[in-house]
Amino acid sequence: MSLADRIAAYREYLREVLHGLYHGMIEHPAYELIEKEAEDREDEFLLACFADAFGVPSPASYYTAELLPYLAEEFEQWERRMWDRSSVLERKGQQYHF
Amino acid sequence: MAGDSTANDRPDAEDRFVFFGGKGGVGKTTVSSAYATRCAAAGLDTLLVSTDPAHSTADVFDQPLGDDPRPVDGRENLWAMEIDPDAEVEAHMNRIRRSLSDQVSPAIVNEIDRQIELAHRTPGAHEAALFDRFVDVMRSREEYDRVVFDTSPTGGTLRLLSLPELLESWIDRLVRKRTESIDLYEKAAIGERQATSVDEDPIVARLRERKENFEFAGRVLREDAAFFFVLNPDELSIRETERAIADLAEHDLGVRGLVVNRLTPAPDDHEDGRGARYLRARRETERERLATIRSTFDAPVVATIESRVEEIRGEHLDAVADALDVDAAAAAASDARSG
Repeated sequence: MSLADRIAAYREYLREVLHGLYHGMIEHPAYELIEKEAEDREDEFLLACFADAFGVPSPASYYTAELLPYLAEEFEQWERRMWDRSSVLERKGQQYHF
Repeated sequence: MAGDSTANDRPDAEDRFVFFGGKGGVGKTTVSSAYATRCAAAGLDTLLVSTDPAHSTADVFDQPLGDDPRPVDGRENLWAMEIDPDAEVEAHMNRIRRSLSDQVSPAIVNEIDRQIELAHRTPGAHEAALFDRFVDVMRSREEYDRVVFDTSPTGGTLRLLSLPELLESWIDRLVRKRTESIDLYEKAAIGERQATSVDEDPIVARLRERKENFEFAGRVLREDAAFFFVLNPDELSIRETERAIADLAEHDLGVRGLVVNRLTPAPDDHEDGRGARYLRARRETERERLATIRSTFDAPVVATIESRVEEIRGEHLDAVADALDVDAAAAAASDARSG
């Protein structure tokens, strides 16, 4: 194996390690952040649609009930999340991997 | 005869939809039935819609009426229906349940069922159902030259009319939230959830459809509808009408005219018993109140109707119809000219 090949292989290895590092430290948390944000936004949407599930009267629940056939699974998960989630702090804290 | 009512702001507007509102017990049903009869007699295909949960249109015409328009026996060009919000709520609930069981597994259906049940037991459900039927009727307008709504007592009707605005902004917010979350999921493109674009999202589509419905209703109410208030010559009724008109104005809806119902009839001149004196005294107070009504309200008084001893039905209805100074005949004539 020539020197050039060894250098190339090493660079390849280095690139992978660095990419892994980059992914682990920057990319993944960023995606995770976006995902969390998307989930939060969806939670907000569901809460706006079905506030009455938590005893808050909503002027539009009659109409938003029409969305349930499309939202059934999300709704069920959401309801469980809402009852389970101990605090907003805990959820916000999940993004930091100590 | 129609001189009084042509003095209003939009004499040429085509009032496809005419609403009669007012406090409970002032005689909205009688007046709106009489008005519908009059329109029908003038040659307009007229539909009378009762939205008062305590329907009494059937009693006025002395025949059973239902949730769908049906021709009124013995009256040409006249159809009538009584909207049953309960039935509509029930039907709406069943439609959702049906499409739910088409789309998702039975295990989830049970979970969701509770929510559906809940949504249909909220206080707003009746109004929403009623509103949907209103819009249905408005959309089928081509079939009729004129649709007359006998509305439920003031509060309910006004809330109903304020729904489009309220719900439009509500739906806007929902669409925005939904769009944001779809957008974020798309950016992350993660998880088992497939990234769908906003345009394909059935939920956004559904919400937009609803919004279009509200916009339609709002537009029709502002452009094609006329509102009349029925009131009695008493303080309570006058004050409630004042409030109601202010509320309507808040929604950019003007009141076309007032119908003063239940005026005390005059005794004959030669009579001078206790009864006659009572009637004269009462008429004096009512005359003052009528003057107050004419001076306080911008809307013209288009008819004054005297109390009758018997229940108003059958031929009595025609008599009341004659007393109505609302321009049904004039409108029919102009329709004939333009058509």
